[in-house]
Amino acid sequence: MQEREGSKTYKEYLKVLKECSPYNFCEYSNNSIDRRITKIMRDNRLNMDELIYKTRKDQSFVEYVVESITVNTTELFRDPLIWEYLLKEVVPKLKGHPQINIWHAGCSTGQEVYSFMILLDQLNMLEKSKIYATDISQKALNCAAKGEYVYNFNYEKYLTNFEEVFKNHTTNVNFNDYFKVDKAKDLISVKAKLKEKTNFIKHDLVKEEMPFYNKFDIIFCRNVLIYFNESLQSRIVQRFHDNLFNKGVMVLGTHEGLNGFFRTKFARNNYVYSKTDTFHFKY
Amino acid sequence: MPNNNHYFKAIVMGGSAGSFSVISNILSKIRPDFKPPIILSLHRLKHVRSGLVEGLSLKSKIKVIEPNDKEKLSYNNVYLAPSNYHLFIEIDGSISLSTEESYNHSRPSIDYTLSSAAYVYRDKILGILLTGANKDGAKGLKDIHDKRGFTIIQDPSTCDIDTMPKEALKLFKPNKVFSPDQIVEFLNSLPQ
Repeated sequence: MQEREGSKTYKEYLKVLKECSPYNFCEYSNNSIDRRITKIMRDNRLNMDELIYKTRKDQSFVEYVVESITVNTTELFRDPLIWEYLLKEVVPKLKGHPQINIWHAGCSTGQEVYSFMILLDQLNMLEKSKIYATDISQKALNCAAKGEYVYNFNYEKYLTNFEEVFKNHTTNVNFNDYFKVDKAKDLISVKAKLKEKTNFIKHDLVKEEMPFYNKFDIIFCRNVLIYFNESLQSRIVQRFHDNLFNKGVMVLGTHEGLNGFFRTKFARNNYVYSKTDTFHFKY
Repeated sequence: MPNNNHYFKAIVMGGSAGSFSVISNILSKIRPDFKPPIILSLHRLKHVRSGLVEGLSLKSKIKVIEPNDKEKLSYNNVYLAPSNYHLFIEIDGSISLSTEESYNHSRPSIDYTLSSAAYVYRDKILGILLTGANKDGAKGLKDIHDKRGFTIIQDPSTCDIDTMPKEALKLFKPNKVFSPDQIVEFLNSLPQ
């Protein structure tokens, strides 16, 4: 890893970026943002002064920087146990609702958006679901909308995840009902019936404004908050709380927890958090 | 063995192929009141996603945790980097996780964990690199060495696969080259 003696300078760079673009990365967690910026400098053979100069002069370079800072690693049914739990315990409880509103915050290239749609479809609830998926990266959203994924010849892994989720499901679920696999091209494509259903919207979670007005039954935000510092994390979790219906569910990454304050505003059930309207004074 | 200058705020250990039994052995013999947090960054086989924390807990004298993001390091705990995440130590002594690209074909990357610990704890860190089949970890341990932290490399002749320790030995001269038993002895004799 690079020497961090100049750690002040990447913080200064983030101030420049904030000043001359709509993006604010000042509250990203130190290690991750430092490494991303170091990588941008290395890939483009720029020193800090040159990076700042280029950022001030060139708007398309700013977009490139944003794309490079964003981490886009996601997969279909990452952590199968969570999806199995959602399928069995969480989603069926919403069956009586006339409409189900879902927000995937920081959806990246959309694999988990489609994963969840398959769950809804299996429970015959896809029709009445309204699905919004947002991300800061336009490139990731374009990829998500296209629904085509290179799987690095690791098709077995996806199939194993998929089968693990549905192993105890009432009906037999076939991977090929939802995906077309092209082994020669190393490509998994999502079938049209899923793709038509989602709204992919560019939205920066750091910003206060929301791109929609409705409240949600389920909000997914998996492995996104880990890139933010604690105060930004708290603001975003508060916003999720504000935008959930009572008893609405928030799904985080397997190794993301809530700090003490929020543990009073959400009840933890296994892998998911549900909004409570009670405040526990003992905290 | 250690002297009074050997005061460490944390211990970081890295390993891949063959390291499970070595670590399990170390943790089964370590003194139960061992104070500094021990951070483990271990490569796992791709298909074995879970079970490592349970496996290590079986014999460990100290509690083994797979930490959450932003969790603060505290005394008398072992922290195992969760499968499929990189683990970093932040300047406030908390842990941060990341799902960004594999580094040295690895997630967790041992280099990432060790380098971040070197930066935070400087001469108050003890870095240990164990048996392993790739070069990940060598550069991170050198970062600890460069920051005047204390470094131990497992004696290649006691390793299942010695690529990892040998890569590190190519880069710098560590403070100690130890067998697993000597590592335990050293840890247990540290002033608490």
